[in-house]
Amino acid sequence: MSELHVVLKVADTEYVISAVDVLHMESFAGATRVPGTRSYVGGLVQIRGRVVPVVDLRVRFGLPSAEPTLDSRVIVVQHGGRTVGLLVDSAREVVNIAEGELRPPPEVMAEESAGFVRAVAKIGGRLVMLVDVGRIIGEEQDHGS
Amino acid sequence: MTGALDVNEFVAGYLVEVEEHLSASTANLLAVEAALRAGESSPRPIRELFRALHTIKGLSAMVGVEPIVDLAHGMETVLRAADRAAGSLSGSSIEVLLRGLRSIEERARALAEGKPVLPAAPELLAALTALDLAAAPSPPVPTIGADPEILAKLGPGERVQLAQGVAGGRRALRVDFTPSPARTAEGVNITTVRERVGKLAEIVKVVPLSVPASDGAPGGIVFALLVLTSAPDEEVARAAAADGVRALTVEPAVPPAVAALAEREPDEPVDREPQLRGVVRVEVARLDDALDKLSALVVTRFRLARAAAELRARGVDTRDLSEILREHDRTLRDLRGAIMRARMISVKELLERVPLVVRGLGRATGKQVRLEIDAGKAELDKAVAERVFPAIVHLLRNAVDHAIEPPAERRRLGKPEEGVVRVSCFERSSNQLELSVADDGRGIDRALVARRAGRPAPESDAALLDLITLPGLSTLDQATKTSGRGLGMDIVRRIAVEQLSGELAVSTSPGAGTTFTLRIPLTLTIVDAFSFLCGDQLFVTPVAGVEEVVEIDAARIIRGPAPGEARGGSMLPAAGEARGGSMLPAAGEARGGTMLPAAGEARGGTMLPAAGEARGGTMLIERRGEVVPLVDLGALFETGASPARRALVVRRHGAPFAFGVTRVIGQQEVVVRPLEDPLVRVPGVSGSTDLGDGRPTLVLDLVTLSGRLSAGRGGRGALVWVAS
Repeated sequence: MSELHVVLKVADTEYVISAVDVLHMESFAGATRVPGTRSYVGGLVQIRGRVVPVVDLRVRFGLPSAEPTLDSRVIVVQHGGRTVGLLVDSAREVVNIAEGELRPPPEVMAEESAGFVRAVAKIGGRLVMLVDVGRIIGEEQDHGS
Repeated sequence: MTGALDVNEFVAGYLVEVEEHLSASTANLLAVEAALRAGESSPRPIRELFRALHTIKGLSAMVGVEPIVDLAHGMETVLRAADRAAGSLSGSSIEVLLRGLRSIEERARALAEGKPVLPAAPELLAALTALDLAAAPSPPVPTIGADPEILAKLGPGERVQLAQGVAGGRRALRVDFTPSPARTAEGVNITTVRERVGKLAEIVKVVPLSVPASDGAPGGIVFALLVLTSAPDEEVARAAAADGVRALTVEPAVPPAVAALAEREPDEPVDREPQLRGVVRVEVARLDDALDKLSALVVTRFRLARAAAELRARGVDTRDLSEILREHDRTLRDLRGAIMRARMISVKELLERVPLVVRGLGRATGKQVRLEIDAGKAELDKAVAERVFPAIVHLLRNAVDHAIEPPAERRRLGKPEEGVVRVSCFERSSNQLELSVADDGRGIDRALVARRAGRPAPESDAALLDLITLPGLSTLDQATKTSGRGLGMDIVRRIAVEQLSGELAVSTSPGAGTTFTLRIPLTLTIVDAFSFLCGDQLFVTPVAGVEEVVEIDAARIIRGPAPGEARGGSMLPAAGEARGGSMLPAAGEARGGTMLPAAGEARGGTMLPAAGEARGGTMLIERRGEVVPLVDLGALFETGASPARRALVVRRHGAPFAFGVTRVIGQQEVVVRPLEDPLVRVPGVSGSTDLGDGRPTLVLDLVTLSGRLSAGRGGRGALVWVAS
């Protein structure tokens, strides 16, 4: 069994997410900031008539945010009944990853990355990390009060 | 694939219908119980119960949910016997039937959630069978003077219903409707006649009679409507397109009971409820979808108007175009109105489940509670209804659990043993609903609440409300079975104020009772809004919340002291720490390393400053002798501070608050979409809208924001403290 994955880049590091979660990918030209939200919430974008909150993966991964470029993409994912956009530096590739190629991350990495990395895989000599979409969009937290 | 989809749609439709029948049945069963307490029989609710369960049985058999078929069958049998016994049920059978309804509901829910549907509990089925066998002996049945052909079709329940109507001062009439092709062509048929007559009279029974075909009755059929009414004979006759009416003689209660009557088939076509015809049930999601499409249309409409303006600027004659645009505008407005109307449900429908909730609470606490409901005629948006209902349940729980005293205590206090909870509702304005839950219980003990909260005793009801809506505050030592821990008043406030942009108020007097009042919008979706710039970001806020837009004279702003830090503090603690990713050698890779993501909160927390820490200290302005705190929204939101030339003044609990903005752009109707995702649900932001540029614009709730800014840690707002 192999599954399609979208390859995305955040600060030159390659990650993958399962294509099953992905609704569509759009270019990014800025979002409407929402005051009072967490720092990694890039704001709101309107994609195909739908208003979607965007998580800036750079900030989520502890890096400074960057100006959008022509390569910047919003990957709209659907997870646990929610629709959220992931802002990444680029996303251009779709790869097939066989189940056997996915390995659990080294323990130290799992701890360091707060569970954002679910697995690592080698695709054609490159090492990519499978990110946990649920963790990234914060499925366990609800700070709306 | 498509086949499976159809089955799912079918099951979804089935579930909706079953749910409707169940809630109507619960209401009817409670009505039977109330009638029983008053020593009356209740033929009509029992017949409706019977019909509902018969329908549920039939539908469930089609979908193949045997456990529900079994339950509905058992209950139907009991109800048929009760109907034959002229509408009486014993108290114990009501209990068993309620359990039956709950059982059906549980199984329907399991089906909806894709879980296995448990078989009906044998013990419950046995209880139902036992009830049937022990059916109450038939009470005396009144004698009705009518044609034998009609009498043969009249059940004892219907006879009692007629007798009760007459005893209640109405007249029992028979009015005949004769269908004909000519009348059908005029749109007059048995359905329209039922509707028309139904407005003037209570229709007890419609009996189709076959007559020899004649010029007057070409179809060879006449419908005899047996009704109870206080309306004049002529009006009833006119409604039925009849020449006149005939009075029915009713002689109450002469034993013995009627012997074996022909069994009525409950769902013969003429006996169907006519109101349901032409009704389509639609999931709210589909209406949301339609509204979404409409907002897309509104957006292109803006672009169209802009394009026309550009043409005009270039000297093109756009008179025709302008006329079309105006027409387009009107149509859009009408279409929007039509969709909004489709989303409305009546408050009556919303409150349908309230009697069951109160009954359950009364039983769990051993308190006697009488419920009075005045639902009025208002309608509200389904989305609002769904959100507000949990708040109503919380208030009812508090009323029964905490407010109403146990019977013994009430007796000692000289109060009637039975406590009263009253739910009432009316439309305050074209866009606001006032809903109150009142009890005649012990009232809220201010001193006790204050002690629990570790605060001084509140002097006003508004201050008391602030205290009791603190999260986690409870005045009960033990968590009770029904209420769980805490009063849950913070949840009520959150629903009313933050989710629905409404208001919550309380008034209480010791020993006499408490009233909670919710003021909520009837619809959430479309509001008249001001648009304005803060720095370089555009925002809108509902006009309804803004008391005034004032000009600010920069020279007359008074700056208060700024204790603490000058920069904005954060009200929410950040979950994580700011940290960069770390470089780790990648296992066996030659690329030198992989940048690991680290759980980051680079800035963390929220940007809302805590009380007294508003950037640059508190500013005050004076307006007609009133001192008003002023906060620069651009500075607050970090969208660019500016010398605030204009301010939007809002008022919360009577206290004014001004928000400085860079520039007020204009006023227009906007389609508000609620922000549902937890990532962007923050106090003070009630939704987003599209002003035509294809980007979301935030809809601010300045009243809530002012509350956040002035509700300081020290009880009364720190900003207000500066003012005094």
